[in-house]
Amino acid sequence: MLKVSDLHVRYGNVAALRGVSVEVQAGEIVAVIGPNGAGKSTLLLTIAGVVRPTRGSVLLEEGSTLGLAPERLVTRGLSLVPEGRHIFASMTVAENIRLGGTGRQDKAAIAQDQDRVLTMFPILRQRYQQKAGQLSGGEQQMLAIGRAIMARPRLLLIDEPSLGLAPLIVNQVYDAVMALRQGGVTVLVVEQNVHRALAVADRTYVMNSGSVTMAGRSAELKTAEGFHEAYFGFRGAKGAVA
Amino acid sequence: MNLLQSLIDACSLGAVYALAALGIGLTFSIMRLINFAHGELIMIGGYTLYMSASQPYLVMGLAALLVVTILALGMERVAFRPLRRASPATLLIASFAVSFLLQHVAMMIFGARPVAIDFLSPLSQSLEIGPLRVPWLQLLALGVTLMLLAALSSFFRWTAIGVQMRAAAEDFTMARLVGIPANRVIAAAFAISGTLASIVSVYMVAQTGGASYKMGVNMVLFAFVASVIGGMGSLAGAALGGFLVGVVSVLLQTYLPEGMRLYRDAFLFALFIAFLLWRPQGLLVKASDRERV
Repeated sequence: MLKVSDLHVRYGNVAALRGVSVEVQAGEIVAVIGPNGAGKSTLLLTIAGVVRPTRGSVLLEEGSTLGLAPERLVTRGLSLVPEGRHIFASMTVAENIRLGGTGRQDKAAIAQDQDRVLTMFPILRQRYQQKAGQLSGGEQQMLAIGRAIMARPRLLLIDEPSLGLAPLIVNQVYDAVMALRQGGVTVLVVEQNVHRALAVADRTYVMNSGSVTMAGRSAELKTAEGFHEAYFGFRGAKGAVA
Repeated sequence: MNLLQSLIDACSLGAVYALAALGIGLTFSIMRLINFAHGELIMIGGYTLYMSASQPYLVMGLAALLVVTILALGMERVAFRPLRRASPATLLIASFAVSFLLQHVAMMIFGARPVAIDFLSPLSQSLEIGPLRVPWLQLLALGVTLMLLAALSSFFRWTAIGVQMRAAAEDFTMARLVGIPANRVIAAAFAISGTLASIVSVYMVAQTGGASYKMGVNMVLFAFVASVIGGMGSLAGAALGGFLVGVVSVLLQTYLPEGMRLYRDAFLFALFIAFLLWRPQGLLVKASDRERV
């Protein structure tokens, strides 16, 4: 489904990614975990076409996506729910959801998907004509996911969906993610909540200081030797990342 | 009665500032470009009216609209698209470059002196209601502006591209991430901005009976002030700011002592500075919304 090889990204003089390789098979839920500043968000932004890498390749369903604009990638079946949700706060919930289907022409199917989103997150139906900025954090996260679903992605990237949310709401968000996978959507999720990530994902990558330091089946990673070192950084002087 | 007369003058002048401010506000809200070359779109509208002066008024007006809109699109394509990832400061400087370039090209072709144009001259007659004298042109400017404001606000509310433009204005990267093509919304912003500029040219040429290579400079400066007063990035703010600048400048013109009227603009800009000290973010933008990343 997705094959990222040897990806390098620099912000000015700072290397954000140093040769990251990640693979996601169709139908999988894959998590990327790691401390702040590990490059997780940069990885997702690069896959989604927002950030341009200096080196490396990204293959989406066998086709290279390098140099493609984010809006083109949406039509190729890739959607990103970015960190901080980025809902359109001054616009209504209805408008936000409708904007999710921007690239599509199939009116009947769009209406169907709209209904699916509102059934998945009933609270959004209640808030339908309200400004999205008035929603609570959890409701905004649901709206952001609902908006992404409207594009009918085959691969969904989600950045920190649990950030700042109450555990109960996080459950609801991850229930939705599981339901999406049931519906055939492949998911790559960045998560700081290690337990949550390992519980949900089939496989997990650990990142630190711009590199993948460990990877494997989530069930095995939990107990694997060296997991904490991989998470918190180990390579001597480089490792002092909190 | 004197006050009422001034208010009518003020509103019609404000209407024109509002159109110019909206033109600047549109491209700013979507790509953070403060386009000082907007004034040269107005100027080229003026010279288009000059070139087509033998035609019926309607044809002249349509020619200006078409030429300026196409030129606005061309300006985006040639000057601003290559700079899309550049900082707002770079964009601003680029707009000055385009502005001076177009002014000097116009000066080379048409000369430095204003040219006279006979355009909509019957509209300079006044409608007299009791002691009030209202030139038809002012009524038309006010009417057309109000109609355009209504049309624009329905456009942004009800059309797909309008909603997409609002989304792009709020969060450009996220707009692209939901699949809104960057080129499409930016081109739409420039096209509308150009159309508004051509309407400002029509008014200015009808009002002054001529065009010059510098005709857009002052207009765009006042329009910029207007859009800052309203709040950069807010289109309703740009329109409101335009009306306010018009009202204040006409009131100053009317009520300043005779000898000081020459310095009207100095008073206007002093008031503007005072306003900014009081409310730097503008009228319709919340302080908390100011830095959007």
